[in-house]
Amino acid sequence: MESLFLQQVLNGLIVGSVYCLIAIGLTMIFGVMRISNFAHGDFSMLGAYFAIYFVLFLSGWAGWVGSLVVAAIGVGLIGFFVERFLFRPLLTRWTDIDIIMLSIGLFILLENGARLLFGATPKMIPDPFESKTINLLFFSTSEIRLICLLFSGIAIFLLQLFLTKTKTGVAIRATSQNRNAATLMGINISFIYSLTFVVGSALAGLGGVLYGTIFAVFPMMGAVPTLKAFAVTILGGMGNIRGAIFGGFILGVAETLGGNYISMQYKNAIGFVIIILVLLIIPQGLFGGVEKK
Amino acid sequence: MKASALFKLFLLVALCLTVTSYGTRVRAAEPTIPIGILGPFTGSLAFNAEEMKKGMMLAVDDVNAKGGLWGRKIELIFGDTEAKPDKGVAVVKKFITRDKVLVVGGGYASSVNIATSEVCQNEKTPIVVAIAISPTITNRGFDYVFRTSPNSPQFLAGVNEWLEKVKKPKTVAFLMENTDYGRDGEKIWSALSNKIGAKELAHLYFEIGDTDFTTQISKLKELKPEATFNIASTTEAALIQKQAKELNFVTQWIGVGGQFTEAYFKMAGPTCQYAMGSSLEPTLAMKNPIVADFVKRYEAKYQKARPGIFSSQGYDNIMVIMDAIKRAGKPTENLQADRDRIRDALRKTSIELTQGKIEFDKTGQVYTVTPSPVQVQLVDGKPQLFIVYPPARAGAPYQVPLPWDKRK
Repeated sequence: MESLFLQQVLNGLIVGSVYCLIAIGLTMIFGVMRISNFAHGDFSMLGAYFAIYFVLFLSGWAGWVGSLVVAAIGVGLIGFFVERFLFRPLLTRWTDIDIIMLSIGLFILLENGARLLFGATPKMIPDPFESKTINLLFFSTSEIRLICLLFSGIAIFLLQLFLTKTKTGVAIRATSQNRNAATLMGINISFIYSLTFVVGSALAGLGGVLYGTIFAVFPMMGAVPTLKAFAVTILGGMGNIRGAIFGGFILGVAETLGGNYISMQYKNAIGFVIIILVLLIIPQGLFGGVEKK
Repeated sequence: MKASALFKLFLLVALCLTVTSYGTRVRAAEPTIPIGILGPFTGSLAFNAEEMKKGMMLAVDDVNAKGGLWGRKIELIFGDTEAKPDKGVAVVKKFITRDKVLVVGGGYASSVNIATSEVCQNEKTPIVVAIAISPTITNRGFDYVFRTSPNSPQFLAGVNEWLEKVKKPKTVAFLMENTDYGRDGEKIWSALSNKIGAKELAHLYFEIGDTDFTTQISKLKELKPEATFNIASTTEAALIQKQAKELNFVTQWIGVGGQFTEAYFKMAGPTCQYAMGSSLEPTLAMKNPIVADFVKRYEAKYQKARPGIFSSQGYDNIMVIMDAIKRAGKPTENLQADRDRIRDALRKTSIELTQGKIEFDKTGQVYTVTPSPVQVQLVDGKPQLFIVYPPARAGAPYQVPLPWDKRK
C-alpha cells in the first residue's frame, strides 16, 4: 500500500514537471503582457515536431539533447515573430477579447496547419535509453522519466536564477509588478515584451520535447497541456512564476492520487474542480497573482 | 488601422485552413452521386480515420476513373465528427438536408454512430456504418441502419473461446476508454469472466486523448491480474504498452484489435510483444486473392503504405454502398424514393470483399465476417501479428508473456 502511494506520488511529480514548464511560460506572458495565450500548448507541439525532425539527422543521446536545444531556439524564434507581428499590434488597442480571439485563432491555425504539414499520424520521439526500467525499493520508473524530471528541474532552476540574479530578469519581474513604474525607471518595455514571449515560448518548446518523449507527438497534442497549464496558473496565481512551479507539481500529484484513491474516471476533472475551488475561495491563487488590468 | 487589417487577414487565413481541413469537398459541374462519409478526421483518432479514407478513395477513384456510375462521378463528402456525438449529429444533419446525400457511410467510434444512426433513421436516409462495434447501433430495430463491421460479440467470439478453452485466467482487470466502445467490451468480458470463474480485480477508465496512464498501471501492478482487458485505440494502446514497461508491469494484455495499426507498431515497438486482440488485418489473409489484390493496389496507390484493418474496413464499406447504389438504379429527381431504393438494395447485399463475404441479417448487421484471435510476436526484434487460435488457422503457437528482464 505504501509503495503504491509513493509510486503514485512519483508518477505525479514527473507529469507535474512537464505541466510546470508549460505553465511557467503561460504565466510569465500573462504577468508581463496580460495576454491569455490559448495557443501556448501548441508551441509545445511545434517544439515536439522540431525534435522529431532533428533526431532524424542525429540519433541517440546527442540527438536527444540537441533536439531540446533546437526546439527551444526554434520555438523561441517563432514566439518572437508571433509576438512582434500578431500580438504587439493589438496590445496598443488593448481589449482583452481581441487578444483572446487572436490566440484562439492562432491555436486553430497551428493545429490544422500541423495536420496538413506533418500528417495526423501519432509519432514518438525516440527515447535514447530505449525505455530502460529502473526498479527501486518502493517504485519502478524508466530512466527517461527521471531524466525528464531532472531536465525540467534544471530549466526551472536556471530560469529562477535569471529572474532573480540578472538585471534583465529583475526588469521582467518589475514590469510584471507595475508596468508604468517600470517604464518610468527607464526599462525598455518593448524589449521586455519580446524577451518574455521568447523565453515563455522556448520553455513551452522544451516542455513539448519532454512530453513527446515520454508520451506521444501529434498535431492536437497541445490542447490538453494548454488546459492543464491554465489550471496550474489559476491555482498558483495568474502571473506568479513560483505559483506555477508549485501549482504544476500540486496538480500532477493531485491527479494521480485522486485517480488512484477517488476515481479513475474523474482523474481529468480534478484539475477543474481545483480551478473552481480556488476561484471561489482564494481568487488570487495560492501564491497571489498580478492584478488584472 | 494597420493592426486591425493584419488581424483580419490572420483570421481569414485561419478560417480558410480550418474550412479546407475540416470538410474537403469539390463540387463538380455535372450532377454527381453524393455520399456522406463520417469520421473523426481531427483529434487523436484522425490517423485511423485517414486510413479508412485511403481505403475508400482507392475504391472510389477506381470507379470514377472508369467513368463513374451512369456517367456521373461518385462524390464523397467528408464530415468531421471529432469522435464527439454532438458534432456527428450536426454533420449528419448537414449531409441529409444540405448536401442531399443518397446514403451515409463511414463512421468511427460507437458513441458517435449510436447518435448519427438515429438521426438517419428519423430522416429516412440509409446509413452504412464502417467501423464501430457497439451492438446498440443495429439492435434498436432501425430499418435504415446497416453495419459492415462485426459487432463486439462477433468481434470477440474467437478470443473469448480462446480465453475459455486455453488461457483460463484466474484473475482479470479492465483498463478501457470511457466511451460506448470501452463500456461495451467491458460488458462482454465481464460476462465471460463470470462464466469462466475469473475474479475481476479492477475496472479502470481513461478518456480519449489521455497520454499519461501511469496512475492506472501502477494500480494494476499492485493488483497483479493475470489478464488485463485493454479496450483502447492506437495512440492510447501504444502509450499503455510503453508505460507498462516503464513501470515494470507484466500481464496478458487483451484488446479488441482495432489498436493494431501501423502507427501502433511504430510507436510501441517491441514493448507491444505478447499483446492480444481480435483482428481482421488484411495482410494476415494474403492467400485470399481478393485480399491480395486489394493489398497490391493499395500499396501501389499509397507508396508502399501497408493497409491496416481500417483501410480494409473503409474499402469494404464504400464498395457495399456503391454496389447497392448500382443495383438500386440511376438516381431520379425524387430523393426520398432513391434513398428507399438504396435501402432495399442494401438489404439484398451479397458481395465478397476484403473482410470476407458481406451479407446483412434482418437488423442490418453483417453476420458473415469472423475475426480471429491474434498475438503480437517478435520476428527479428520487429513486432508482427500472428493468428494463434483455433489451431486449424493458427500461424504461430501462443506465447506466455515473460517478465521484462527476461525479454530480449
